[in-house]
Amino acid sequence: MNPLEAAVHAAVASVDDPEYPGLSIVDLGLLEQLMVSSDGAVSIGLIPTFSGCPALRHIGDAVTQAVQSVDNVTALDVVWLATPAWTISRVSAEAKAMLARDFTVAVDVALPSPHSGPRPAPVPCPMCATPMTVQSMFGTSRCRSIHHCSSCSESVEVLRSSP
Amino acid sequence: MARAWESIQDFESFLDNGGIVERTDAMPDEFRNAVFRFIELHANSEQMGGLTERDWIPRTPGLRHKMAVLAKTQDEFGHAHLLYMIAADMGIKTRRQMLEDLFAGRSRFHNVFHYRVETWTDQVAVAFLVDSAALASQQAVFKNCSYGPYRRILKRIIAEEGFHMRLGEDRMMKLAAGTETQRAMFQASIDRWWWPSLQLFGPDSKPNDLLLRWHIKSERNEVLRARWVQKFVPLLHSYGFTIPDDGLHQDDDGRWHAGPIDWEPLKKTFANVGPDSERRISDAAAHWHETTWVRTALESRADTQPAAGSTKSNVSV
Repeated sequence: MNPLEAAVHAAVASVDDPEYPGLSIVDLGLLEQLMVSSDGAVSIGLIPTFSGCPALRHIGDAVTQAVQSVDNVTALDVVWLATPAWTISRVSAEAKAMLARDFTVAVDVALPSPHSGPRPAPVPCPMCATPMTVQSMFGTSRCRSIHHCSSCSESVEVLRSSP
Repeated sequence: MARAWESIQDFESFLDNGGIVERTDAMPDEFRNAVFRFIELHANSEQMGGLTERDWIPRTPGLRHKMAVLAKTQDEFGHAHLLYMIAADMGIKTRRQMLEDLFAGRSRFHNVFHYRVETWTDQVAVAFLVDSAALASQQAVFKNCSYGPYRRILKRIIAEEGFHMRLGEDRMMKLAAGTETQRAMFQASIDRWWWPSLQLFGPDSKPNDLLLRWHIKSERNEVLRARWVQKFVPLLHSYGFTIPDDGLHQDDDGRWHAGPIDWEPLKKTFANVGPDSERRISDAAAHWHETTWVRTALESRADTQPAAGSTKSNVSV
């Protein structure tokens, strides 16, 4: 990365997910494309965790604002891409650790579908590592399900790929 | 590891030193009951809030707002689900008992869900005024909450509710910059929702409020209410709207103070005899019965396809 690319990347990384303050959208895996031309024109392609997410506009505005303030950026284009689909494999190891530590949120490593196929393997509890039982495949949003730990009885949201 | 305390004094000094109580601890019954009631009230309110939001899915103008309302509906039910789970874990009522009590009008939910949301601008006023008041209360609980499971879930709920409030703020600004009709409609909604929002904070806290003493709440009701008034009066004035309070005044330091508050409407909502309580409760019960087939289908799937290497998934309530 040249210095301008690095500065733009850092600006995008400074934007947090609005529902997980402190968690960068880059660590969450939303940044798909970053192109900086020699004349300072920047093009950024983001992907949503699920297409109906109501935070897209908010995140897009925050990225625009952050990148516009980088020196030597002459033009900026921020778009939401239809492909590839976001999956939980895009979440960085640091982000997974942070979600477990700060939000008691686990990350499902399988690619579950509530509609067909076998149930995914149990997700370990972020508090005590005991395999949890699924309470509902549908949590507070399409990218989260609700699990319960029979050992420490923690109620846990699990971030997952949207079905 | 379960902990126990010799006396209520020992327990209280543990709390005063910033101690966090976990589910397996041998907490005093009074504490268990008080925390349970508080979480049940919160869970019921999220459930009723989700239903309010759901009512507006077909009527919400524009695709972008509709997506947000859909997502917010799922958010509120998700919050209710999590809160009912941690409340049930306290061993006082099961989740089914809590829901049955809610649908039979035997338990409480927040006053604001005892009123009818008449128009889209009402819905905006709810998102802007009611959500901000509820968020201020939740933040004050989270700040110092001594019950661990509730504290951890509140952290996520607050981040999500904060996002709802921003959506409400966006919509409010759009209406404020809109036509005369839109502005007049929003003013009418402020007039309807101002007092219920203010009353959401409750009457002045009693000197011996146990929730304050046990570090569930961190601030007195009247302090939270005054802070909210101080923030929202100038904000609404700056957009050219008025506040339906003849007693509203500014002190010498420029701080805004609400006039005398009539607590009768709040008491009525506590007794489930508010303006829209009956319809709200019967709607909630009807919704529950209409969706029985979904739960049955999920339960039968859980029966036939157990998770590999785990016990049967529990999706019942």
